[in-house]
Amino acid sequence: MNEPLLVFRGIEKSFAGSQILRNVDLLLYPGNCILLSGKNGAGKSTLLKIIAGLETPEQAEIEYSGESHSWKTVIRSIRKNIIYLHQQPFLFSGTVLSNVAYGLRFTSLNRKQRRESVIEALEWAGLTDVATQDAKTLSRGVQQRVAFTRAWILKPKVLLLDEPMANMDHESREQTSLLLRRMKSSGMSIVVTSHMQQYYDGLADQHFHFKRGRLVP
Amino acid sequence: MSGLLINTQQALQLLLSGDPKLWSIVIISFSVSLKAIVLTTPLALLVAFALNHGNFPGIRFIVAVFNSLLSVPTVVIGLFLYVLLSRQGPFGDLRLLFTQTAMVIGQMFLCFPILVALGYAAIQAADQRVWETARTLGAPSWFSMLTVFYEVRFGLLAAVLTGFGRIISEVGISMMVGGNIMGYTRNITTAIALETSKGEFAQGIALGLVLLTLAFLLTVFLSYIQGKKEFAA
Ligand SMILES: Nc1ncnc2c1ncn2[C@@H]1O[C@H](COP(=O)(O)OP(=O)(O)OP(=O)(O)O)[C@@H](O)[C@H]1O
Ligand SMILES: [Mg+2]
Repeated sequence: MNEPLLVFRGIEKSFAGSQILRNVDLLLYPGNCILLSGKNGAGKSTLLKIIAGLETPEQAEIEYSGESHSWKTVIRSIRKNIIYLHQQPFLFSGTVLSNVAYGLRFTSLNRKQRRESVIEALEWAGLTDVATQDAKTLSRGVQQRVAFTRAWILKPKVLLLDEPMANMDHESREQTSLLLRRMKSSGMSIVVTSHMQQYYDGLADQHFHFKRGRLVP
Repeated sequence: MSGLLINTQQALQLLLSGDPKLWSIVIISFSVSLKAIVLTTPLALLVAFALNHGNFPGIRFIVAVFNSLLSVPTVVIGLFLYVLLSRQGPFGDLRLLFTQTAMVIGQMFLCFPILVALGYAAIQAADQRVWETARTLGAPSWFSMLTVFYEVRFGLLAAVLTGFGRIISEVGISMMVGGNIMGYTRNITTAIALETSKGEFAQGIALGLVLLTLAFLLTVFLSYIQGKKEFAA
């Protein structure tokens, strides 16, 4: 494989004295998909949130372009390239359109570019027909797609997905799977957590399993 | 009994004929209490947010303190402020005693803990995912906070209305630091107290009706918001 995009090393995390992550390393490559599995409470979500800068680890190093930095000092600057998606996405009050456009206001795009980008994203995900609907009233599968689109529109380098296909019917899973494939082929580095390895056949390039706080192949 | 009826009839006449003296008192009440609530709300919501999302020791203690401040008697706040603002007091030079400003400050002290405690509860009810989603989509902290506020807007609005209902109906502070000066610091509640003691019930009843109507509207609106909150959840 080519150069890794980002390397996380030595992640340590505990909650209330019990250690959840022990010396976890994770190498993220562009256009690559990692599948993480493990029991409930193993620490999968916690790991993804640390990578996204939403949880603070006790210890972690981040390497990029050949240099190593502590998590604390660089997470602020790299987190804008990393997006975490919850197992059950939270859609903000408002329309599908306003949800999809949410993150664009923090980019350097001007009003016109943002508009074009929203239109393109809605088409990309097949959401044009529901663009003006109240996001909270949509079915779970469609909500998940809105959450994907809301992330995709920001063109992150790394996408972290927590159980994206849990409790989905077959059709929603197919659609989600298709979106994931497209994201991957556009060069994003993807990490998914799941109990259902079979959903990710042909998508995941690597598979790691949590065992007592450590990641094993 | 017929006296009460006649007084009430006179009260309604005063209200409906737009009696300028009466309505100036109503306007003073609203102007003072609206200023107090508008000035208090931003800081109180910031504190409520910090108590929810902050990570410093003593948070639970501070929340408990705010909750216990909910039941501080208004005369105690009035007394405290009176001492601070009186000629010999530390802020005596500001010459604020018996001004609308003093009333505004007193009412701010009264509604601050209400807004913090109820705002804290409203924000606590927000889903943790709101903050996380906003942050991961690139929102700066302050914008993420506004996003959280927006998601719990009905709860926050209920907090603000409750605070407003409390300060517009309080007597102790307005009486003690306002001084009940006609046309300047006489508001609905101090006027009622005065008119009643003078035996002039009609104006007291008229002003009482204004307060009762307001209380009724606030309650109806609050229960409407409550419904909204449950629907949103
Ligand atoms: N904010 C928190 N405070 C305290 N404990 C926490 C917190 N977040 C997670 N934990 C604990 O850390 C452990 C790992 O949680 P995590 O959510 O990462 O597991 P998971 O592998 O994602 O599980 P699941 O398969 O159920 O999603 C659990 O025991 C959980 O109770
Ligand atoms: Mg999880």
